[in-house]
Amino acid sequence: MHYEAPVREPLVLGNKSYHDVTVEVARPIETAPPRSWWIAFSIALLLFLWGVGNILYTIGYGIGTWGLNKTVGWAWDITNFVWWVGIGHAGTLISAVLLLFRQKWRMAINRSAEAMTIFSVIQAALFPGIHMGRIWLAYFVFPIPNQFGSLWVNFNSPLLWDVFAISTYFSVSLVFWYVGLIPDFAMLRDRAVKPVQKHIYGILSFGWGGKAKHWQRFEEVSLVLAGLATPLVLSVHTIVSMDFATSVIPGWHTTIFPPYFVAGAIFSGFAMVQTLLIIMRKMFKMEHYITIQHIEMMNIIIMVTGSIVGVAYITELFIAWYSGVEYEQYAFLNRATGPYWWAYWSMMTCNVFSPQFMWFKKLRTNLIFTFIISIVVNIGMWFERFVIIVTSLHRDYLPSSWTMFAPTSVDIAIYLGTIGFFFVLFLLYARTFPVIAQAELKTILKSSGEEQKKHHSDHDGHH
Amino acid sequence: MDTTENLKVGELTSAHHSAHVAETPVLSAMFRDDDDLLSAVKAVRAKGYVVAEAYTPFPVHGLDRAMGLKETRIAIAAFFYGALGLSTAIAMTYYMMIVDWPQNIGGKPSFTYAMNMPAFVPILFELTVFFAAHLMVWTFFVRNGLYPGRKAQNPDPRTTDDHFLLEVEIKGERSALESLMKQHGAVELH
Amino acid sequence: MAETKKYWKGLEELSGSAAVQALRENEFASELPVDRFLSDDKNLNSSSTSRRDFLKFLGFSTAAAALAACEAPVVESIPYVVKPDNLVPGIPSYYASTYFDGSDFASILVKTREGRPIKVDPNPQALINGSTNARVQASVLSLYDTQRLKRPVVGGAETTWNALDGKVSEAIRSATASGKSVVLLSSTVNSPSYLAMIEQIRGSYANFRHVSYDALSVSGKLDACEKFTGLRALPVYSIGDANLVVGVDADFLNEANGQSLSGEYGKRRKPSASMLRHVQFESVMSLTGANADKRYRILPSQRPAVLAGIYNAIAAKAGQERINAPTLDGDWNKVVAKTADELWIHRSSSLVLAGGGDYESEMLALGINQMLGNFGKTVVLKYRNRLRTGDETALQGLANDLKSGSVGVLILDRCNPAYDRPAMAELLSKAGMLVGISNHLDESASLATAVAPSHHYLEDWADHQPFEGYFAMQQPVIRPLFDSRSSMESIDRWFGLGSKSALQRVKDHWISTQFAGDSEAWNRFVHDGLYIAFDSIGQLSEPALVDGMASMKELSLSSNSAGAKGLELSVYSKAGMGTGRLANNPWLQELPDPISRASWDNYLTMSASDAKELGIENTTQSNGALNGTRVNIKTAEGQVLESVPVLIQPGQAKGSVGLAIGYGRTKAGKVGDGVGVNAFALLSGSSLNKHFMSGLSIEPVEGEHEFACVQLHHTMMGRDIVRETTLSDFLNRPAVDGGSGWNERTQFETYAGPLTADKANLWKDFDHSTGHFWNLSIDLSSCIGCGACVVACHAENNVPVVGKEEVRKSRDMHWLRIDRYFSSDMNESVAEEEGVSAIDMFRQMEDPSENPQVVFQPVMCQHCNHAPCETVCPVAATSHSAEGLNHMAYNRCIGTRYCANNCPYKVRRFNWFLYHENQEQFDINYAMNDDLGRMVLNPDVTVRSRGVMEKCSMCVQRTQYAKLEAKKAGRPLRDGEANTACAQACDTGALVFGDANDPQSKIALAKKDDRMYYLLDEVGTQPSVFYQVKVRNNA
Repeated sequence: MHYEAPVREPLVLGNKSYHDVTVEVARPIETAPPRSWWIAFSIALLLFLWGVGNILYTIGYGIGTWGLNKTVGWAWDITNFVWWVGIGHAGTLISAVLLLFRQKWRMAINRSAEAMTIFSVIQAALFPGIHMGRIWLAYFVFPIPNQFGSLWVNFNSPLLWDVFAISTYFSVSLVFWYVGLIPDFAMLRDRAVKPVQKHIYGILSFGWGGKAKHWQRFEEVSLVLAGLATPLVLSVHTIVSMDFATSVIPGWHTTIFPPYFVAGAIFSGFAMVQTLLIIMRKMFKMEHYITIQHIEMMNIIIMVTGSIVGVAYITELFIAWYSGVEYEQYAFLNRATGPYWWAYWSMMTCNVFSPQFMWFKKLRTNLIFTFIISIVVNIGMWFERFVIIVTSLHRDYLPSSWTMFAPTSVDIAIYLGTIGFFFVLFLLYARTFPVIAQAELKTILKSSGEEQKKHHSDHDGHH
Repeated sequence: MDTTENLKVGELTSAHHSAHVAETPVLSAMFRDDDDLLSAVKAVRAKGYVVAEAYTPFPVHGLDRAMGLKETRIAIAAFFYGALGLSTAIAMTYYMMIVDWPQNIGGKPSFTYAMNMPAFVPILFELTVFFAAHLMVWTFFVRNGLYPGRKAQNPDPRTTDDHFLLEVEIKGERSALESLMKQHGAVELH
Repeated sequence: MAETKKYWKGLEELSGSAAVQALRENEFASELPVDRFLSDDKNLNSSSTSRRDFLKFLGFSTAAAALAACEAPVVESIPYVVKPDNLVPGIPSYYASTYFDGSDFASILVKTREGRPIKVDPNPQALINGSTNARVQASVLSLYDTQRLKRPVVGGAETTWNALDGKVSEAIRSATASGKSVVLLSSTVNSPSYLAMIEQIRGSYANFRHVSYDALSVSGKLDACEKFTGLRALPVYSIGDANLVVGVDADFLNEANGQSLSGEYGKRRKPSASMLRHVQFESVMSLTGANADKRYRILPSQRPAVLAGIYNAIAAKAGQERINAPTLDGDWNKVVAKTADELWIHRSSSLVLAGGGDYESEMLALGINQMLGNFGKTVVLKYRNRLRTGDETALQGLANDLKSGSVGVLILDRCNPAYDRPAMAELLSKAGMLVGISNHLDESASLATAVAPSHHYLEDWADHQPFEGYFAMQQPVIRPLFDSRSSMESIDRWFGLGSKSALQRVKDHWISTQFAGDSEAWNRFVHDGLYIAFDSIGQLSEPALVDGMASMKELSLSSNSAGAKGLELSVYSKAGMGTGRLANNPWLQELPDPISRASWDNYLTMSASDAKELGIENTTQSNGALNGTRVNIKTAEGQVLESVPVLIQPGQAKGSVGLAIGYGRTKAGKVGDGVGVNAFALLSGSSLNKHFMSGLSIEPVEGEHEFACVQLHHTMMGRDIVRETTLSDFLNRPAVDGGSGWNERTQFETYAGPLTADKANLWKDFDHSTGHFWNLSIDLSSCIGCGACVVACHAENNVPVVGKEEVRKSRDMHWLRIDRYFSSDMNESVAEEEGVSAIDMFRQMEDPSENPQVVFQPVMCQHCNHAPCETVCPVAATSHSAEGLNHMAYNRCIGTRYCANNCPYKVRRFNWFLYHENQEQFDINYAMNDDLGRMVLNPDVTVRSRGVMEKCSMCVQRTQYAKLEAKKAGRPLRDGEANTACAQACDTGALVFGDANDPQSKIALAKKDDRMYYLLDEVGTQPSVFYQVKVRNNA
């Protein structure tokens, strides 16, 4: 069994027994939601419905209801798509990569992080759909023959790679998440007193009983899934970045995109996790599980990835100048000094400068500050995608076609709608799912629980 | 502990392990701590007893080895699933882009697979992962007999909370086994 | 004995039921409802005719054209391509005809499908004006304008022809009785039979008078010509024989005086040792000035002064006596002297053209040309131009008569004085009876007591004599769609000339006169659409030259009004809108102006520095749309025009502004109404002829104007987009010279040494060396940017019109656009010298020079052989053909727009909305949104649905058709058989299309040309479209 040097900070605070964990994880589900939850939920629901309305309007009248034009064919749609996909990276990354590295501190947060992943990938998947001029023919992107025989998709197209990457990523994250949920559903099932609840959780738990052999397979499956998900999570944003990297548009045609996008994705993903956990931690009084240490760890990751992104920005500028290609040079000059300079500099401020505060322990352990930065970072990451897409398109090769882009109310409504949708899902999740992987957490209670640690250090000091 | 509780457990046990009960009677011992469970398992096996089953609320490290369970081969299965995915992807892209309807798409060479293949690498990778992950999870469910609507497999609901249930096949004197369990910290015996 | 036995057909009959009885009486239970729907006013007038009616129209016109047995107009019309089965569905028939609307003249071929005219093409047999400009190309759409006048109108109420005829002839009779005059007012008329008819009327009506005028008058010019030739007619210019043309405010490429010069001009602009040089003096940046090698900015009032300066300089050389000319300041004297020297060098092979319509300018121009010995060479007096014969003084006389109330009946034949002579609007009603002949209820017709709907020119018979001894036949190609009547026939009936149909009148005239009973000749005339009364120009008698120079001395030249304060305004006509007759034609409204690239508008063009002084600005909105300040204009004579938008126009002479005519219609129809302002409102008195006025006062007013401008960036930002070189370099230096040539290809350093983009290649290419390989060559030296190709593309490919609001949002759908770039004062070398930072350099590069050089570059899909768009389409909706074309499968497209984003040329167009069958959103696009309008659609081309990407297909339907024809004939395709609509419409020969795999083809030669280059070659797209370097004749 696992031992840990007592000098390490305990991962679970408070004098917790296995049963305490069970009770506290089950509490949000077994108690009625507080007013704050209802308020948050209804706001989210309104946003969501507003978004749905505008999506229907778009489908009814055409993409012309957006602000796009002959030169700027993508703007908020794909910006939002990439933004959400990026956010959807942290979850799988936390559970998969950290699992591979046996980072036990992940256990308190991975469940919610994965939930966030799945919900944000749902938002992301929305945009490639609705941005189509003829969404009712969306099934054309699947390799199915048409009624006249062979009429296949184009496997050369990065957009098709996206289709495969996103659907694989989404479905694999989903099963990864669900397999982890099964024992916890079983726990809820066995605690449930209301027959309806018992029945529902009975179904969800697939009849899990925690047999030794099953646990053995369970751990193996989690490990292999983690092993598969790690390259997968890196591949997804790599492929998304190829939508731009493989094109010929100055500012898109950039080989640095894959690593730079992945770093950006982790960056924004962790920021979003912070935003959510800090709220959840307060709402559900889980200070003992989601500790300052977790927050700090993630802040460090945010700081590192933020700096990587910063380096990428500067590399881009350098390469543009060094390439000697006038189109490239102008594209980047135009980003920083052209009509969209404000977007570029908000991106720079939010993504590169703001995370640097995390060098100070005082700041990276301060919840309020962390919360603010986490939001600032996601604003910055949205601007990054906007800058890449719009400022590259609006002035490309032939000046005769140069123009500008301005969003319409529909653009804005759909974006806010997805935020609403995301929180609707997350709030429902928070009241009905075990928000902490309690089964996993119990395995480290002995090694990293506060009480046990004390007890270890008391007697046998030789550890 | 009160009898009703006992009784309930008994029912559950019989309900669940009727098959077991038929052959060889088992002794179910309930533990409150995973370390006690482990020591008990080691002890009973040392004494030559056969451990029928153990129900734990979380994966107890070393339990499988202590019980002498075989290594699971699910990872190997996953490898073959992945291989299957890869070959499916190759077959699909080859058939669709080269054999069935080779087109001139942006001048990309659709003459031979080798020339056009680099453009398909992302597809190959994604399908590999897709097959490996999903088929493995299906296997996991099938082998464990897990499916929606399946009755709870654990005889005692507390085993998903903080109790550890050990089932040992009774061989010879039941009392001997019981005492052995007790001394290793069993809190309940049926 | 008589057979009395009766065989009854059934029990019913035996029982003698009434129904059976009735059935036996009339064999056909119900009649075909044709007459009913024709007489049903409601159906015919409601602009949105029901589908049933549409089918009736369609069936009716098809039948009319197809059943060549019953309908008179069709019997006589002979297909251009004589085929026994010329009306096989799916096979087009071509008819030779003629377009003349009083200002534009063209010999055309009309393409009809299933009896519907759908396209106007140039007539290659024509010696002169055998070209189609944007207006002529678009004219076919006006045929299907539901807002045409559909029935005779008297006193605002629809009535029958008989009622109308009765009323009008009654009025004429009473006017004659009461000694009042009967006046026929029209725009220029050159139809022999029409003029003969007028003579006939004059014979029987002493009080009858015919007055004609031109919307943009050149009356003064005509008077000047009379001084030289004794004939009131403009000469014909033979620019092909000139090596130097000097235009002084003359927009001759825009057919200022009817003759189309662009064709010859374009051919002579192909670089060679004897390339035509073009010097232009002008105030407004005109289409002509934009193409000049050297362009000087003058105030319109300086026009006579500059001409006089040149005159005197030449006179000195020619030993003629000088005239007293207004003085020019120092620099101008140099310029004028220099120009005069150049002209003198090119004696008898030069040409001086004066703008405006005033007497003085034309006198000077003629004088100069005569001194240079250009008469008979570049200025052909014997081969006279009859396209502008309007007489302002006569019109003035009519105005006076109207004032005095001595006009009994005034007949307006297809002219619109209430619009283009606003001063006459209220006088018109002073006539005893105002009669209008018009095919719209326009500004003037709506004032008339009786309005006779006239045919659209494609429904009408007429003959024309555009030039001396050169005749053109206008034959109808479709049965009249409405209850309209040829104007000749109307006039005939009113004056009781024997109610001849237009056809009879024209035919009788020709058989009796020219053809002397030879009906074969008549058939040939109708078939060719042309009849040339001489074999060579030599046969025409040279008019006896009167000594024009004598009257030079009397010239009193208004001195250069530099002293006069206030701006000077000159009116000009746009390539798209002309005089505004076709204002209700959405294709023309949507066509961006070649110079300003603004559509759906006219505006005050103003120089940047004037705008600065007056605090006027043009600003770009956050969505890329252009806004501009509005101003109120007041002329010295007191005419006022309110809230006129101002567009800052590089090249506009400081101190002057320009305003286009043809806009500000109020009764043109739903498309043309309220678009722009009416520039005619400013013209009066002398300015009617001079086309400019001085002492203009301007003050900005509240409110911004919203422009629909498709190009916001006016410079090339120092990029290698339009390649340009000078004639001397072209002649003396190699194109490729180790990097220092004038047409170098970008080289890439690779392991295999330096390679061009198409060779520096990652993979093995597809083989295009066999079969057809369609290429298009665009000669930037010849292209004058007129926009005929753009409209031709509209018509051929069913390109939707999206309206001002959408164009404003940069969502114009043109498959083919003509980019226009101005030169800038800033470039890399300047930046280096002055040490300007890169950021500032690019900032300043965005501003064009005050008097920039202009280049036009038509850009359509380049059909790249390594197409970025194809690679990225997830559903393979766009892929490459074996013939080198980039195909678009509309019904496979799901509209991700990825292809458009990844197109370096930005030529792909997305259907943002449903543009067809969408009345409430795109009503103005009547070519797709009402049943009548849809008849103009080309059945060979799909109308794209919402959410689909579209783009230039290189007219694949035409190439396929040509290939099939060749296949049927069992012979290889000949060069020129397959042609794109744009190349066909291109008068200057700038566009050449063909099969590059055919070594003899024109395109194959063009591909080998030294001037050939690919746009954005270095991107490695390997286009099938290539350009020819523009060469400026800087001699």
